[in-house]
Amino acid sequence: MAAVSRKEWAVVGTQAGMLGILYIFLYLPIFFIIFVSFVDNTVWPFPPEWTLKWYQRLTIMSDFHEGFKNSFLLGLGTACISTFFAGIAAIGLLKYRTRWRGVLAVIYLSPLFVAGLLIGISTLMFNRNILGLHGTLTSAILANSTQAMAFAFLVILAQLARYDWRMDEAAMVFGARPLRTFWEVTLPTIWPSVFGAFLISFILAFNNLEISFYNLGAIPTLPTIAWGTLRHGIEPELYALASVINFLVFFILIILFFLIRLGFVRLGYREQ
Amino acid sequence: MTTAALSIQNVSKHFGKTRAVDNVSFEVNRGEFFSLLGPSGSGKTTLLRIIAGLETPGEGAVYIGGRDVTKLPPYARGIGMVFQDFLLFPHKTVGENIAFPLKMQRLPADKQREQLEWVVSLVRMEGLEDRFPHQLSGGQKQRVALARGLVSRPDVLLLDEPLANLDRELRKEMEVEMRRFQSEIDIPFVYVTHNQEEALTLSARMAVMNYGKFEQVGPKLELYHHPATAFVASFLGATNHLQGKLTRPGETYSHMDWKGIDLVIPSPSAAGPGDTVDYFLKSEKLGIRTGEATPEGTNANRIRGKLRDIIFQGRYSDYFVVFENGEELIISETADIPSVEIGRSIEVTWPAEAGYAFKNEEEEAS
Repeated sequence: MAAVSRKEWAVVGTQAGMLGILYIFLYLPIFFIIFVSFVDNTVWPFPPEWTLKWYQRLTIMSDFHEGFKNSFLLGLGTACISTFFAGIAAIGLLKYRTRWRGVLAVIYLSPLFVAGLLIGISTLMFNRNILGLHGTLTSAILANSTQAMAFAFLVILAQLARYDWRMDEAAMVFGARPLRTFWEVTLPTIWPSVFGAFLISFILAFNNLEISFYNLGAIPTLPTIAWGTLRHGIEPELYALASVINFLVFFILIILFFLIRLGFVRLGYREQ
Repeated sequence: MTTAALSIQNVSKHFGKTRAVDNVSFEVNRGEFFSLLGPSGSGKTTLLRIIAGLETPGEGAVYIGGRDVTKLPPYARGIGMVFQDFLLFPHKTVGENIAFPLKMQRLPADKQREQLEWVVSLVRMEGLEDRFPHQLSGGQKQRVALARGLVSRPDVLLLDEPLANLDRELRKEMEVEMRRFQSEIDIPFVYVTHNQEEALTLSARMAVMNYGKFEQVGPKLELYHHPATAFVASFLGATNHLQGKLTRPGETYSHMDWKGIDLVIPSPSAAGPGDTVDYFLKSEKLGIRTGEATPEGTNANRIRGKLRDIIFQGRYSDYFVVFENGEELIISETADIPSVEIGRSIEVTWPAEAGYAFKNEEEEAS
């Protein structure tokens, strides 16, 4: 009896150890950056000399503010466009059963396999040489959407594939027009994936460097500023910036967690 | 042009080369319970979907309350429907599910509440309005689905195998309930099922469908007692199927050779000597005699066989009797016949007209 339980302990212990190593692998760099953002001696922070000056510097650096605003707008615009088009594409693909479904899906997903750098350069060339347009936030949003749409499409498709389309038929028989049917029945059932698609496209565009870089010219976003500062070596303000964004993300996740726990938000629904 | 609640005129629907519905016409009157009975793939569900507007017919027309709705989408038809898997909206409460058709019709709130209260008490779901579908039992889901179908007092209620997913006990209970709803309201029910018992219990009139065509339409007892085709006879509970050759055709009664045993049968139409004949017998119309034979009518069949097995069914038992030609018949009789034992020789009797004889059409085709 004791031998068996010792063996079980060994198994559980090994698994817990591996999980711990994985977590360290995932989070050590992030925690290191947070740690470094609070010290003065950033090059070799042992023993740490605590300071908040990087955060103070961050509050007065106006190009970071400008960059944050632009990145946010870029994320928001891309998320809206990508989620909308990915949503209707997934619905269309699943609802109209054609022989070409597979081909259509692959064509939709192909931007996934194109390097962001190429998307950035080719949009720049196309906009300037063919359309005669300058790089703007709008063109950056559109260029980012081409890639984000493919991700959003995958996310929505995964949940929509399990959706029972007879639910739509039921709604229609009971008097709902197609748009109303979508709003009353389809969307509430698949909204977690729509929300997920929105979040992923937002993050992709917010963090994107290579596509935005070629489209924005002199307009700063957070990644282009961070890239630009590399020329003078890594500035410690960047650690503070990374930490602020991490805090924001954790904060949002914690709020979401409690909203779900307390029942204000329901993620998905129970199967019948 | 027509006053029937529902009128189907020469409706056909093809899927590729398959004729799912083949030139079907029928009418359902106000307050009538009409069943479409057929095996799976017979086209009954396609026909129901055409009435609902979920399929468009290739040819023909659909009238609801005298209005041609053939070209109208489902949401403009004013119908109610109960689906096979209930299809309740999982994110809406029972109350929201039931009130959904009223909300779509933009009925005033007080009118909505009134209709909701009426239908909730009709299906006896009071106090459960705030539950979600996943919190309900199968029977309760069924009631919600029915309530949602009836709440707007539609011109016609379509039911697509609504009891198929319930267990036997619950099915019996819901059959009784549905008859009650139907008698309390004036809405015609069109009920699709593959279960002949359900159709016979519930409906006033019914149609038996096979390969997209109506085999027979009429009052249920007429179909049960006077099946027009071999398919209807076998589908409506004639458990014994006897095949043989016609020997002596007659005016009313003919003789058939059932693999060596001579039987008197009602004369099948358009059959001559030597034709293959199918003779269908309901097990409850057969009797068993053990002692000295009591005299039967002139057109009675009486064959001696050996009792192979008895299966107790509750109110009756099924007796399996083997005859000297190797064939077997099932006889349903009261469970307690004295001095009947497995292995004993007994007599099976029935009047000729207790069964239905048809000329075998397949034979002719080949």
